[in-house]
Amino acid sequence: METMDQAYFNKLAKQLMFELSDAEIADLQAEFVILQKQIALLEAIDTDGVTEMIYPFAQETTFLREDQVDHVIAREDALSNASAVLAGHIHVPKVVK
Amino acid sequence: MNYETVIGIEIHCELKTKTKMFSGAPVSFGALANSCVNEIDLGHPGTLPCVNKEAVRLAIMAASALHCEIDPLVMFDRKNYYYSDLPKGFQITQQFHPIGSGGYVDIEVDQLQKRIHLERMHMEEDTAKQFHNEEGTLIDFNRAGTPLVEIVSKADMRSGKEAAAYVEKLRSILYYLGVSDVKMEEGSMRCDVNISLREAGTSAYGVKTEIKNLNSIANVQKAVEFEVQRQSAILDQGGVIIQETRRYDEALKETVSMRKKEGDVDYKYFPEPNIPPIRLDAAWIEEIAANLPELPDARKARYQKEYALSEYDAGVLVANRELAQFFDALCKYTKEYKAAANWTIVELNAVLNKENKTLAELSCEPKHLAAMIEMVKAGEISSKQAKSVFEEILRGKDPKQVVAEKGMKQMSDTGALLAIIQAVLDQNPQSIIDFKNGKDRAVGFLVGQVMKASKGTANPALSNQLIKQELAKR
Amino acid sequence: MELTTCKNQDVRKRVYEAIEKAKRLQPILNAVVSFAQDIEEQLAHLEQIDTSAPLYGIPVVLKDNVNTKGLLTSASSRILSNYIPVYDACIVEKLKAAGAIIIAKSSMDELGMGGTNLSAYTGPVHNPYDTSRISGGSSGGSAVLTAADVTPLAIGTDTGDSVRKPAAYNGVVGMKPTYGRISRYGIIPYASSLDHVGYFTTSVADAALALHVLAGRDDRDMTSSTKEVPAYEQLLNSDIKGKRIAIIDNVQKAIKDESIRTGFDQLMMRLKQRGAIVESITLNEQLLAVILPTYYIIANAEATANHSNLDGIRFGVREDGNSVEDVMSHSRTAGFSANIRKRFVVGSYSLFVENQDKLFRKAQKVRRLLVEELARVLDQYDITIASAAGSIAPHPQDSVDEQLSDTYLIAENHMILGNFSGYPSISVPCGFVEGMPVGVNLMAKPFAEQTLFDIALAIEEESGLRGQVAEVTK
Repeated sequence: METMDQAYFNKLAKQLMFELSDAEIADLQAEFVILQKQIALLEAIDTDGVTEMIYPFAQETTFLREDQVDHVIAREDALSNASAVLAGHIHVPKVVK
Repeated sequence: MNYETVIGIEIHCELKTKTKMFSGAPVSFGALANSCVNEIDLGHPGTLPCVNKEAVRLAIMAASALHCEIDPLVMFDRKNYYYSDLPKGFQITQQFHPIGSGGYVDIEVDQLQKRIHLERMHMEEDTAKQFHNEEGTLIDFNRAGTPLVEIVSKADMRSGKEAAAYVEKLRSILYYLGVSDVKMEEGSMRCDVNISLREAGTSAYGVKTEIKNLNSIANVQKAVEFEVQRQSAILDQGGVIIQETRRYDEALKETVSMRKKEGDVDYKYFPEPNIPPIRLDAAWIEEIAANLPELPDARKARYQKEYALSEYDAGVLVANRELAQFFDALCKYTKEYKAAANWTIVELNAVLNKENKTLAELSCEPKHLAAMIEMVKAGEISSKQAKSVFEEILRGKDPKQVVAEKGMKQMSDTGALLAIIQAVLDQNPQSIIDFKNGKDRAVGFLVGQVMKASKGTANPALSNQLIKQELAKR
Repeated sequence: MELTTCKNQDVRKRVYEAIEKAKRLQPILNAVVSFAQDIEEQLAHLEQIDTSAPLYGIPVVLKDNVNTKGLLTSASSRILSNYIPVYDACIVEKLKAAGAIIIAKSSMDELGMGGTNLSAYTGPVHNPYDTSRISGGSSGGSAVLTAADVTPLAIGTDTGDSVRKPAAYNGVVGMKPTYGRISRYGIIPYASSLDHVGYFTTSVADAALALHVLAGRDDRDMTSSTKEVPAYEQLLNSDIKGKRIAIIDNVQKAIKDESIRTGFDQLMMRLKQRGAIVESITLNEQLLAVILPTYYIIANAEATANHSNLDGIRFGVREDGNSVEDVMSHSRTAGFSANIRKRFVVGSYSLFVENQDKLFRKAQKVRRLLVEELARVLDQYDITIASAAGSIAPHPQDSVDEQLSDTYLIAENHMILGNFSGYPSISVPCGFVEGMPVGVNLMAKPFAEQTLFDIALAIEEESGLRGQVAEVTK
């Protein structure tokens, strides 16, 4: 079990590409105490031999899309929602590799 | 110390489809930026993926050719990470149920056969292309969503040569299948090499580095060889290898560090809820597997066996699918296989290289070249004449017509030839003396003079025979 | 307002009256995010539509997570508060083809992740029966606009009970059909395996007609069903003699409000009098107790991935930063409310490799057990029935949002079974308590929507609440 200190939640937030304030982390710490209790409730349920339910219905499909160009949008539309556009590209500050 | 090199390779190949893996937008190379996309490729809110049938078909072809076991139930998963070239913030891939498992590729290095085993082959989607400049980064989403297969080898390779041979072999198989353009320099085939060293005779794996950005097969070998040197030097000095990603710098001819790996990144894989499991028709899979194009090894063996070509000639032909296909077409019209191979490998190939063209761009008809080869065989034209006829064949002309138009018919009329020969002998008394003194070379010289006098139209074999006959009389 | 009433008015008049009314109520209810700017174009488009089209000239409201080309679609989140979609959701195409005029986009809990409609970026939505009370959510705006007699049909989405709960709080019919019945293409998601398109009407007959319009296979949504869509509205039959109805006793026992309980019991008596077989059943209490954590884990895990595309790069509100990572991080920090970010942390946590077995996969297994529990009951019965909410619409300070809590609230969470299972489910008004509407919720077997409509119609006949709307006074 990880220590759920501030650094831990800051690390989690960083992986999710956002920041959390100290107050938000405090809320989360309280919530994780409840979460652990709920996990205990879940653990108490016998799921031996039960497979995960990923989709509401177990039904398989056989449908595959034919390889025909059926939908392409105008370049202006592709860029219309971007905050910064340069030379027909979406522009961002330099990617730090 | 004596080290053993352990190499595993991951190869990403763009599949040759008309549309993206999960959207009906066109796949293109070199199109105007952001002109081959729709809302799905841009990861707009509310979009859903829809699997491309042709991409699955090409993946099945590749998996069959690589002897993988094919999973008839196709499922996809999400690989979660944030990067500006990844529109959805996750990549749809096949983490838990790859379409192909196991399999192998046979390679040959220094006349030794070796089998490289595969871990898996799975389908996924490509990322956007980024261009970096001083002002920032420009993103073009045309490539985003292009279908890919990733082929993961086991850590079976032990040298740079083996690594290069593996990549080359895989490239040629995928190329012959026609499933991918496999152009490393254009990025339609990309190769990540994992290398570690261990003390010879031990079995535990050492710390590995990953080399990316290898844009040619030659560089695969060079990069591995450099990395082996680098790692063994560190280990010899008692140092430790840092797990990291490196790239091969062509100018420096060295691998240089790109980024350290902070342990294994947790991509939080989970099944893609928007794509239900897809049951592939068993008959469809069988049909695809049964109708694979002939693969390079089989083709090479066939050339050696059926056409009695040398291993070298067969190898050269197979290395270039276009030439091999042309050669096969030629062999439908002529049984002069050796000559057909020579014309294809030497003359035709030279033209393609010189003019930097593909065969499709030339109007060279196999039946024309075959007819010309037959004409040479029948002595109707000389080899020298053939070369100028060939020039015209490249422009789509029928050799019979060329010969007629240029009056090139080889002189095989004994009477006319004899007249020329008598004249040549009269002008070269020294050659007659030489011949009488046992110098056979004189005959060759005289044939040359006859060819010259006939402006290349004399049949060389007949000339040779007649010269000897006339010399004997003198 | 019922569709038939609406249809008796002149098209232009009813469209503009609906808009006027929504605008007049906006300061009181705050249910609208944005009004359509292209009403005249939409009216002109009607010329191409048969006047007998089912929704010919009917004003309709869409929840703000339904993508509308050229019209702001914010999902009530700051990060999308400038997002103008470049494509229409599938259901927008279907609605327009049926003659509907889209007049406004309605408020919702941020990204659908809530049950109170207090978290919308544009502020809380108020209940038309008592503006000091909540509308419920996440489809609060659509529920309220239907209840306040603005439009006869408003689209919502339902991931937990986001249509059916606010329907009960606002005294309207709220329908969530079988998973896959209505295409999700173009719906900004919350949790893909739980998301359903649903809608609000003021009568069961209208709900039946609306499903006929909205349902059907869409190749862009691989999870959408190929099953034929019946003309539900023509097949409606409120004769429920012999229908087997299972009361979920655990839910009724957990309800503290006696008026709600007795009202429910009286309704059951009347259904029996109509010849239905009404029996109480008990679901496994231990399983019901974990509905909420199971939901919370699955929904947040899928949501954190689904919303990874919201990074300010290609669309949405972009915040400045020195690197692309900073831009993404700043945009996501400012773009999501604290509650959303916290839930992404929980979702992400449950997907970590080391946690998946204990959290995400465990929840998916428990989900299956819960569905099997429901399926067992529906093997024996045509529908299950229970009070849609344990109380009337609460005041904001008394409301419990979708969050983990020590207290266990079975009366508030049972409708999530409809999302876990994908089974169709409808909430129907059944009376009033303290002047506030209350409703019952029905669930049926997959694709048994007709059964739901038939029994719901019988309930509507008993309650006399067909066409019931609120007179907004404040």
